[in-house]
Amino acid sequence: MEETRHMEDVQIERFSRFDRVVHWLVAITFLYLFFSGLGIYSPKFSWLLTLLGGLDFTRWLHPWTGLLFSVGVLLMFLRWSKDFLLTSDDMVWLKNVKYYIKSEEEKLPEVGKYNAGQKVFGWLVFIGCVVFLASGVLMWFPESFPISLVRLSIFLHDLAFILVGAGFIVHVYMGTVGVPGSLSGMITGKVSALWAMRHHPKWFKEVMRR
Amino acid sequence: MSTVTTEGTVGLGLKRVSASKLPDPNIKRADTLAILVDISSCIGCKGCEAACTQWHDLKPPLFKEGQDFVGYQSYPDLMPSLFMMMKFKEGETEKGLTWFITKYQCMHCGDPGCLKACPSPGAIIQYENGIVDFDHSKCIGCKFCLSGCPFDIPRYDSNNKPWKCNFCVDRVSAGLEPACVKACPTNCLHFGTKEDMLSRAKKIVDQLKRRGFEKAIIYDPPGVGGTGYIYVLPHGDKPQMYGLPKEASVSPWISLWKGPLKIFGAVVLWGTLLGAFLQLILFGPIKAGNKKED
Repeated sequence: MEETRHMEDVQIERFSRFDRVVHWLVAITFLYLFFSGLGIYSPKFSWLLTLLGGLDFTRWLHPWTGLLFSVGVLLMFLRWSKDFLLTSDDMVWLKNVKYYIKSEEEKLPEVGKYNAGQKVFGWLVFIGCVVFLASGVLMWFPESFPISLVRLSIFLHDLAFILVGAGFIVHVYMGTVGVPGSLSGMITGKVSALWAMRHHPKWFKEVMRR
Repeated sequence: MSTVTTEGTVGLGLKRVSASKLPDPNIKRADTLAILVDISSCIGCKGCEAACTQWHDLKPPLFKEGQDFVGYQSYPDLMPSLFMMMKFKEGETEKGLTWFITKYQCMHCGDPGCLKACPSPGAIIQYENGIVDFDHSKCIGCKFCLSGCPFDIPRYDSNNKPWKCNFCVDRVSAGLEPACVKACPTNCLHFGTKEDMLSRAKKIVDQLKRRGFEKAIIYDPPGVGGTGYIYVLPHGDKPQMYGLPKEASVSPWISLWKGPLKIFGAVVLWGTLLGAFLQLILFGPIKAGNKKED
């Protein structure tokens, strides 16, 4: 008990300034892309376009925001792709993800700085961004490409939206309500030692050794 | 752009409106209209082209020096400020050198791909009489209508708004014939109900067959639910020579992203949201300290 309380007060750095700026660049642009895209994707949500600046304007801003998002994801890729390589422990973790959902993390292999779920989401974003960008450029300038490719692009753009969108919902949930104490990592850059020990024990030990 | 309101009791009856279930097509009724283009009696005078630009107040840029040679055509392609043009192509047939002439503009499909593809409620409308038109005030400029179109028709202005033949909806709703039909000096263009135009076309085709054009056909592609412009093609075995697709149909990709993919998306996205909520109420947040304090 004593020790637990003490560890709650110790803060350790998880994300550098650069990490945070890149994260929020991607997060904020994606938020706009997600909701403006939703308004274009589904007529039931076309009121979102009005909310985000008007029918024409939102549609106009969407591709430009997409470019900014892509730059952010490229920086993310350069920063995190190495950290997100999946190990054999990660495969075991993914197979037994039900224990994580049930809040029984001790039944899973010890996690480093990122757990397998975070890594998979990372790759979903990297691959999703490539699909979004490539298909998005074709949709932006449909007159300059074979129309059959543009039709395929709209399909791929929608599919990527559905999959990355689902991942995004999970990510936002986990980062705020689902795993208390996570959000501060992306805001102040620091998390409590207790949080690190519980969720990322391997990483915690590494940090302590230093 | 349209002079006809898309909501309420005023104006032409509506058959279909993009991205919405409105309206009730049972209230106002109208016969489906059509323009018959009888290629066999076209002399290529391009009077229809002139009448079209004149009626719609269009000023398409004139042919520039140094531009690629486009033969007898006035323009290489449609433009936002050019709703229709005559296309000319030379080809060999069993009758020797043949001039394939076509009137090229929006076909006013019975089952319009543009309307199907459009994500903005009310931006594309199909009137009860079959005319397909755009409402720029509701258009978001996404250009999906081009993907939906099997005939490569809409052209976009600098604000990304699409332009195309509107079948002179203003004239037609006032009881006049479209400007191109009005101008045609050889009776190559006919205007009336689709039914009348089809029976007239059939007679012309029979005549052509008697005159030795055995392959003559009526071009009214069923893949797009028939069209508002129907053609009598003397060389019906070569529609591509007239610049018309042999089997015109709305791309299956459009039905895919408008149908199954939408349902899949709703299930996945709402399902994920529900899943996160269930995790919260069934197992609770994954806390750092809870286990130790027990």
